[in-house]
Amino acid sequence: MSVQAPERPTQTSFPSETEYAGQLGRRQRKAVAFKFFCLAMLTIAVLALATLLYTIINDSFGLVAIVNQNDPDQVVADLGYDPETTTLQDVSYDELVGLLQANVSSGVGRRLERDQRFYEDRLVFEDEATWAEICSSGEPPTGCTAAPRDHSNVYALVLERVVVPDVIASYPLVPSLLNPEVFEEEVAAGFEAGRFPDYQPEQAFIEWRAWFNPTFLTTPQSSTPEVAGIRTAILGSAWLVLITILFAVPVGVGAAIYLVEYAKPTRLNDFIQTNINNLAGVPSIIYGMLGLAIFVRVLEPFTSGAMFTTGVPPSDNGRTIVAAGLTLGLLTLPVVIISAQEALKSVPDSLRHAGLALGATRWQTVRSQIIPVALPGILTGTILAVARAVGETAPLILVGAASFITTDPSGPFSKFTALPIQIFQWTSFPQQEFHNLAAAASVALLLLLLTLNAVAVILRNRYSRRAE
Amino acid sequence: MTNETSTENKIESAIGERMTTEPDRPGQAVPATAEVPGVIETKDMSVFYGDFLAVANVSLNFGANQISALIGPSGCGKSTVLRSLNRMNDLVATARTEGEVHYHGQNIYAEGVDPVEVRRTIGMVFQKPNPFPKSIFDNIAWGAKVNGFKGSKTDMAGLVQEALEAAALWDEVKDKLQESGYSLSGGQQQRLCIARAIATKPDVILMDEPCSALDPIATLRIEELMMELKENYSIVIVTHNMQQAARVSDKTAFFNVKLNDTGMRTGRLVEYSPTEQLFTSPKEKDTEDYITGRFG
Repeated sequence: MSVQAPERPTQTSFPSETEYAGQLGRRQRKAVAFKFFCLAMLTIAVLALATLLYTIINDSFGLVAIVNQNDPDQVVADLGYDPETTTLQDVSYDELVGLLQANVSSGVGRRLERDQRFYEDRLVFEDEATWAEICSSGEPPTGCTAAPRDHSNVYALVLERVVVPDVIASYPLVPSLLNPEVFEEEVAAGFEAGRFPDYQPEQAFIEWRAWFNPTFLTTPQSSTPEVAGIRTAILGSAWLVLITILFAVPVGVGAAIYLVEYAKPTRLNDFIQTNINNLAGVPSIIYGMLGLAIFVRVLEPFTSGAMFTTGVPPSDNGRTIVAAGLTLGLLTLPVVIISAQEALKSVPDSLRHAGLALGATRWQTVRSQIIPVALPGILTGTILAVARAVGETAPLILVGAASFITTDPSGPFSKFTALPIQIFQWTSFPQQEFHNLAAAASVALLLLLLTLNAVAVILRNRYSRRAE
Repeated sequence: MTNETSTENKIESAIGERMTTEPDRPGQAVPATAEVPGVIETKDMSVFYGDFLAVANVSLNFGANQISALIGPSGCGKSTVLRSLNRMNDLVATARTEGEVHYHGQNIYAEGVDPVEVRRTIGMVFQKPNPFPKSIFDNIAWGAKVNGFKGSKTDMAGLVQEALEAAALWDEVKDKLQESGYSLSGGQQQRLCIARAIATKPDVILMDEPCSALDPIATLRIEELMMELKENYSIVIVTHNMQQAARVSDKTAFFNVKLNDTGMRTGRLVEYSPTEQLFTSPKEKDTEDYITGRFG
């Protein structure tokens, strides 16, 4: 329905009513077109995200073709059981330990025992005298004090060390679900083409495998993809987050408070402000170069931990967690400052005036009235900035993250690896299994980021409710 | 234009005359108020924002246990004058005050005077109620705490009650002291802000259009409260509402804004008289034009 006002003959310089009405249709068409344009852009964004998730999930689960070096049925039969009724998992603890003893070299066995003992009251690989000696040494291994292994632990060891499954081919999730028989054909074709010269076709069997699984999260890095995990990488990333927060939060929030609450608009302060904004846009690789030059090289006595000890330093160079953490802290700092500034600026001036008019000092007002109101914003901004830093790869490569490391980081001055480094390394390998591992590690990294973001949202909601 | 300049000249000469003659003729204006000892006295005070002269050459004497009102059109500098009385204008980075402001004979702009101490003894209530986002109790207690209150919990509870009673709010909030200050109505929030100011034991309370965000009933309650508070405190109030000035104040200062030769709009004090006199027989033509609604 169209509404039309009568013409007013006096207003000659105005467009006529019909002109207005004619324009209205065009304006509305433009509005609709713009709305659909925005919707289309949103669709593209959602599709891009969905593709990303699809790629990662697709590689993290799926069918695999496995060849066991030792057939578990054969192993069970060798122990004198009927493989029809008994599986390897049903075998007793003592027999499993016996299997390890028979199949593992004494060096590996001693290492396993030092990590964790098999029995409370007796030793399997080590002799009593040496054991007593290493346990009374300055740094006794974990096996001296930790509780002995249990059945499932030893069963996993037997699988890894005795059965030794070898993944000869893997298949992504979606084709595994849609047409698994293609994979079987591919494996059979692979055998015919002589791609698996070490094995017979009848040895291979196909099963489902979740590359992302609890064991994957809790086992250290390994060069065999079947047993490799990301525990070292997760711990390394956790250490990095800790040091990044310890550095960037006090420095960043302190600087932001000064700039918002105290700094007068002088030319110097404007200059500083502009530079902070620019620093937030500096590529992360540049921060990596800075970290390498400053933290790894110049501050080596500090970052290698040498200045805290008179004896052997914890690390023989500065390529340690603390150097990388400080680099990521620097990278995060401008974003933390800017988001904290925004949070502080959003606190109305009326609160500052109220505090000061009561005879409170600037700091009393800031501490008791301004920071509590700005806190949710500061926390959210900080956590998002740290979450961003967790995924950074380039600066860590420059600062010297170790790509292959199987021992957990022991403190801020130890060598380390991190999740993005692990993913980067695995994707650069040619074998498909490592790509599956990289995808699974990406799932872990994404979950870590989601957790951090969820923490940000929870904190924000909690504190903003309290402030009301 | 010529007309305006001549008016301005007249005002300036009038101000000059008052400045030179008033101290010499105490009691001549109205005997009832002239005997009141002064609490705050501005001497030839001018306030600049950067190069901009906001208000020029203000000399005013605010009496103890009186309500003094500052009225005038927008931009005449009355709020600027008010905020200069407890150095709240210092918070504006570019603001600069010339001349002197004496509080009981001491210049609060003198070297070595701590504005923090000035603001405790000369409290302030703002245009928009601005309670802290905390409980009603904490809103009151915080001012005392930051000023070094060391009493026990019972002492603090007593202080909070006294302040709320003085602000005529106690009966309405005594059962919900732990609720947020934001849960109160606008008028209650403004009285909470007054109670908060009282809790720091001020001598003077400055009010910057305290009722402009309130409805008539809440305004009336604040006005009644001001009449009660005047027993113990000296009050200076800026108001846009001339009826309010006429109702509550003892003395009224009328400010006007004039465009000077360089295009700056500078506020000037036109007339400062006992309220009744200013509203019934103003000395200046500008005052009369303003209060009769001819402009502003």
